Amino acid sequence: MQKSRLTRDWKECIWGWFFILPTMLGLIILNIIPIVQTIYQSFFKTGSFGRGNIFVGLENYKNLIEDSSVWQSLINTFKYAIVEVPLSIVIALVLAVMLNRKMRGRTFYRTIFFLPMVVAPAAVAMVWRWLFNSEFGLLNKLLNTVGIGEVNWLSDPKITVYVVAMVGVWSVIGYNMVLFLAGLQEIPRDFYEASEIDGANVFQQFFHITLPQISPTMFFVLVTRIIASFQVFDMILMMVDRSSPALPKTQSLVYLFYRYAFVENNKGYGSAIVVLLLVIIMIITVIQMIMQKKWVHYE
Amino acid sequence: MKWKKIVSVILAVCMVSGLAACGKDSGKEESKKTDNDSKDVELTVAIWDSNQEPGLRTIMDGFTEETGVKVDIQVTTWKDYWTMLEAAATGGDMPDVFWMHAHQIDQYAEYDDILLDLTDYVEKSEKIKLDNYPEEISDIYIADDGRVLGVPKDVGTSALWFNKTMFDEAGIEYPDETWTWEKFREVAKQLTIPEKDQYGLAMKPASDQESWCSTVYAYGGEWLSEDKTKSGFDKPETLEAMKLIEGIIQDGSMPEYSVLSENDTVALLESGKAAMVFLGSYMLPRLSANDYVRENCDAAPLPVGPKGRCSTNMGLAWSASAGGEHTEEAWKLIEYLGSEKAQIQQAELGVTMSAFNGTNDKWAAYEPQFNLQVYVDALEDDVIYPYSKNTQVWYQMILDKMVSVWDGKRPMEEVCLEVADEMNAYLAEE
Repeated sequence: MQKSRLTRDWKECIWGWFFILPTMLGLIILNIIPIVQTIYQSFFKTGSFGRGNIFVGLENYKNLIEDSSVWQSLINTFKYAIVEVPLSIVIALVLAVMLNRKMRGRTFYRTIFFLPMVVAPAAVAMVWRWLFNSEFGLLNKLLNTVGIGEVNWLSDPKITVYVVAMVGVWSVIGYNMVLFLAGLQEIPRDFYEASEIDGANVFQQFFHITLPQISPTMFFVLVTRIIASFQVFDMILMMVDRSSPALPKTQSLVYLFYRYAFVENNKGYGSAIVVLLLVIIMIITVIQMIMQKKWVHYE
Repeated sequence: MKWKKIVSVILAVCMVSGLAACGKDSGKEESKKTDNDSKDVELTVAIWDSNQEPGLRTIMDGFTEETGVKVDIQVTTWKDYWTMLEAAATGGDMPDVFWMHAHQIDQYAEYDDILLDLTDYVEKSEKIKLDNYPEEISDIYIADDGRVLGVPKDVGTSALWFNKTMFDEAGIEYPDETWTWEKFREVAKQLTIPEKDQYGLAMKPASDQESWCSTVYAYGGEWLSEDKTKSGFDKPETLEAMKLIEGIIQDGSMPEYSVLSENDTVALLESGKAAMVFLGSYMLPRLSANDYVRENCDAAPLPVGPKGRCSTNMGLAWSASAGGEHTEEAWKLIEYLGSEKAQIQQAELGVTMSAFNGTNDKWAAYEPQFNLQVYVDALEDDVIYPYSKNTQVWYQMILDKMVSVWDGKRPMEEVCLEVADEMNAYLAEE
């Protein structure tokens, strides 16, 4: 009796591992091994083509601490995240609540809002780059006809990072909205009916039923969005020219990593920058995991 | 229960037939590989200039006709080209044949299993004699240990493009070979009419190869010492030239820096915003395709400095991957592209100036309405565009720092001295 239970446990264990094997393999090959290699590489002065690496200990990290452009990029990244994350969540949530009702053309609107997600980011960035062009762009032409002066959307150090963030918001709203829609469908209708009988208005319903009920989805969106916004890169690379005076105040940590690692071929230093980013994202995520107990309601 | 069985049978049949289909496919591929005839070989060729693609396509078609080897040209923009090539080299999957640049060759030359060693091929070849190309260009692509790593493709000099209509309106004579850089500065100021949104000049930090790098040499300065160990940015002659550039910026003869940074200088010429821009000879396909430029613009020699006229000259080379599957065919293609016939064709088609000596009168004749002869003449007083082993590191640093001068934030001299210091530090590491 004892023996057969043991073998059954054993069998279950093997099958369990068997089923997660494909995911595990993917994770190990595509994520974990590269992470370890990146950390390892950050202790080297790297040669071209991944050869001739020289061990330099903590020198890359020492340079990193003294490098003001790294800290400026970190600030830029925070600025980007502070605009992109809350805006994309709030707007997406409002849209989701509005599109969750029965209404004419509901699928049409949902499709429209989701479209930016389907288009390749490079194409999105190229189109916005032209719209924002200070000399030939549509936006400034419009501003001119209204009588407001031209704005250097993509070369004014004060605003460019927010301009890029707005495009980020625009392109991610649809995705967040679909996640929220899925969350909203899960809320039992009886809650709303019961509250209606008790005389609650739409806003009370939203804050006392919808928000708490959707908090697990909200938590998921928040965590993934923060991580994604800390990794912003493609929009900046495509929209802001290398010679733009706004670049130092716009480039993100990942952009800086790209420049050092791939343009200037200093992969060791690039790795150190990425490790810094990894640590920051981990700290923020851990804080969020702890904080979630205060506001996320699981049933 | 019955349904479940039927469904599972159908599924099983689908899966098996899928497998069978797979088997067929792989069988086909194998048979392809075994008869490794030249006819079935397709070479991948990587370039970065889409302007040159149509012309090169024509030339490569000639190669395919002669040998049966097909060629697939892949264009990656300059910005991503070296990232692509470096990653491909690291992963051992480079294109068969590709463009090589002086700024990058030394890194690739460091190892002997990345670029195909062409020394023996060149020695045995009847079509390729390195004496046929300018020595200063072919030398770039010969490694320190004597390996030949590339066959010269082209040469590239610079000229001043100007808008004839704007000169006529202002009643100023067209630029000619007597123009000094000082005179140029004066005229740029005169041609600036902000109310009309017209500026005398468009030039940005990254226009260095076409403009201000040449200015430095025309003033007797230098970017880099001849032995490539010291920066020349702190030399008095260099500073004098760079201060002239600073003067042009301060004159307000150029559009606001934000406009410059968001647009190519050539686009500002094409849209009638800039009266003068400096452009390299490789821009010809784009310029001759533009109606506005054809109607209003022409080329003139670069202005002269105290040390005479000087234009940077940069020539690319064709290199091949050492680890490629079809190195023999790759060499055949390079041999073809470097041959007199293809080089003349490249010039005749207006693709770009060819490296083969004496072929460029044909290039200058490609578009008789433009004074293209100035580019050919510039080969007489040229200086090779400066490069060292790890050029990208200091070159990018220079461009980044120059932004603050163009932007009006910092004085030129201060920035140049800073550039010299940092450049020396980088060069010491090489």
